[in-house]
Amino acid sequence: MKLLRAFAICVCMALPVFAFAADPGAPANVQVMDDADEPRGTVLIVTWEEPAEAERPADLQLVGYQILISESGEPFEVASNVYLDEGTEAQIGDLKPWPWPPYFVTLAAVYAPPGLGFHYLVDEDGVVTDTRAVVVHSDPVGPVRPQGHWFNVEYTPILLLALLLCAIIIFTIYSVRGRAEDVYIRPIAGLEAVNDAIGRATEMGQPIVYVSGLSGIGSISTIASMLILGHLTRRSAAYETEILVPCNDPLGMTTEREIVSQAYTEAGKPDAYRPENIFFVTESQFGYVAAVDGIMLREEPAACFYMGYFFAEALILAETGNETGAIQIAGTDADTQLPFFITACDYTLMGEELYAASAYLSRQPLLVAQLRGQDIAKTILAALIVAGAAAATYAAVSTGVLAEAAQRFVEWFAV
Amino acid sequence: MRLQIPLVITFLAGLFMAVQWFVPHELGVTVYNELLNWGRIVAAFALVLGIQSLLRTHVEKIRRQREDWPYSAVAIASFVLMVVVGIGWGHERGTGFDWIFRHVQVPLDATMFSLLAFFIASAAFRTFRARSTEATLLLVAAIVVMLGRVPETLIVVLGETRPGLWMHAVMPDVSEWIMDFPTNAAKRGIIFGVSLGSIATALRILLGIERSHLGGGGGGGP
Repeated sequence: MKLLRAFAICVCMALPVFAFAADPGAPANVQVMDDADEPRGTVLIVTWEEPAEAERPADLQLVGYQILISESGEPFEVASNVYLDEGTEAQIGDLKPWPWPPYFVTLAAVYAPPGLGFHYLVDEDGVVTDTRAVVVHSDPVGPVRPQGHWFNVEYTPILLLALLLCAIIIFTIYSVRGRAEDVYIRPIAGLEAVNDAIGRATEMGQPIVYVSGLSGIGSISTIASMLILGHLTRRSAAYETEILVPCNDPLGMTTEREIVSQAYTEAGKPDAYRPENIFFVTESQFGYVAAVDGIMLREEPAACFYMGYFFAEALILAETGNETGAIQIAGTDADTQLPFFITACDYTLMGEELYAASAYLSRQPLLVAQLRGQDIAKTILAALIVAGAAAATYAAVSTGVLAEAAQRFVEWFAV
Repeated sequence: MRLQIPLVITFLAGLFMAVQWFVPHELGVTVYNELLNWGRIVAAFALVLGIQSLLRTHVEKIRRQREDWPYSAVAIASFVLMVVVGIGWGHERGTGFDWIFRHVQVPLDATMFSLLAFFIASAAFRTFRARSTEATLLLVAAIVVMLGRVPETLIVVLGETRPGLWMHAVMPDVSEWIMDFPTNAAKRGIIFGVSLGSIATALRILLGIERSHLGGGGGGGP
């Protein structure tokens, strides 16, 4: 059965060969090869030699070539038209490499009566439709397919550094987790104030407003923000303090509902969970700002949290919260918005502090151990920066083998 | 199983996304685009939940006649209007949907955005009060950068005097130096920390150390 199938496939693949057996006047020595400079593997290069003068049809002149391509047994289709002055090499694009089926390629020489240009002979799809033209096909070449690259060599330094950093963090997580309580964590004022904010809200009987950025669930800062929301809710749920979470991303809303629900359950207050407090507002940036500002002015929350990635709305939100007199704690990795939060909020988590907040609030051994790993990785990065600066300076002011080595070291990191 | 399956899917999807960044091959690109399409489909379904949440919030507010409930009525009426006009007559240029978008939504957005100018003024007033050494440094740096961006101000204020002309010539360079060196250094420091934090957070999620987003705890208690 297998033999029969293999035979059938061979017959099917050979069909185009019989259909396009080379005639006199066809392009000679047609070769099809992968474009080694094209990393995706979507381009083939076709090269050929012009048909011999003696073989060309009488009273007709060569006006160009047509490259036709077939995907394993499918009919040949025009892939590209090549004018005579474009040489004897052309590319075929928009192809697929392995695991897609291979291709067969044939090249046709197009002849026309003197004075008739190539572009007059073809229709809008590039097919020769003029009956005065004579098209002579070469033998099909194939099966052939573009190769593509499985690794972007330019990214080698990034890969090595990423692997090193991941290895350090993972190693530290599993080596320090047993003695995580010994790990010193620098006090972060913004996170120390979380309990004060919850306490204030509880005493005043006013809600907490939590905004988790506007970059959607695809952003890592939104995910970090959601993790903080979980820890914050666990604490506030113990006092049944209401948390309002206006969302601008419906996908984020469903995730945040899940997180808050779980936090209420873990705090032993599943009945206090109100899904309607985590609600979708709009995806429009300033529509969202208008809605949240309105909520803050109407509800007069005791505390406002802005955690995640923010754009121009950062200051509008923070200034409105400031006007209501709420304790405001912000955290963002958007360096352009940090000054606004620092100005308008009581406490601001800057950059990496947003990502450390989860470990800081929970003090869970694995998360605390990961902070240690981050610090070690940061030390290595700092050492590399100093080494790079020294090497670049040395390479600029000196010559010789050592200076060349220093220059190569610097260039290795330049992606 | 309720936890394990999402964890495995998270790990595999995360690993693929990390690996495919280094793989330029068409196969990786195709699978990546396919996964993005899946994401869009999931997001489209989530939008239904979002709309349901939006309507429920406002209907409830109107039903209980809570404070400022007429705003909720306006929100629902606007939503219904846009849906009816959009589905009924399309959303191409020149349609009613397009007209409402350009003449209602865009000006409203612009109005909110323009508030930023006033908020910046009030925030700057609070920040630039030179009450400490750091605040004074900030104030001086900000003035230098502002004057460097619009050096003609110096000619207007000081006239075409010798100090005025000298500061007019020098201030843009000083401003550029502040932006290129101290500011850039601080920004890059933040970016390094953020990158490491992102990697660590991604690892935590991929390895299942942090799983509170799955509704399964794991992030530690209070």
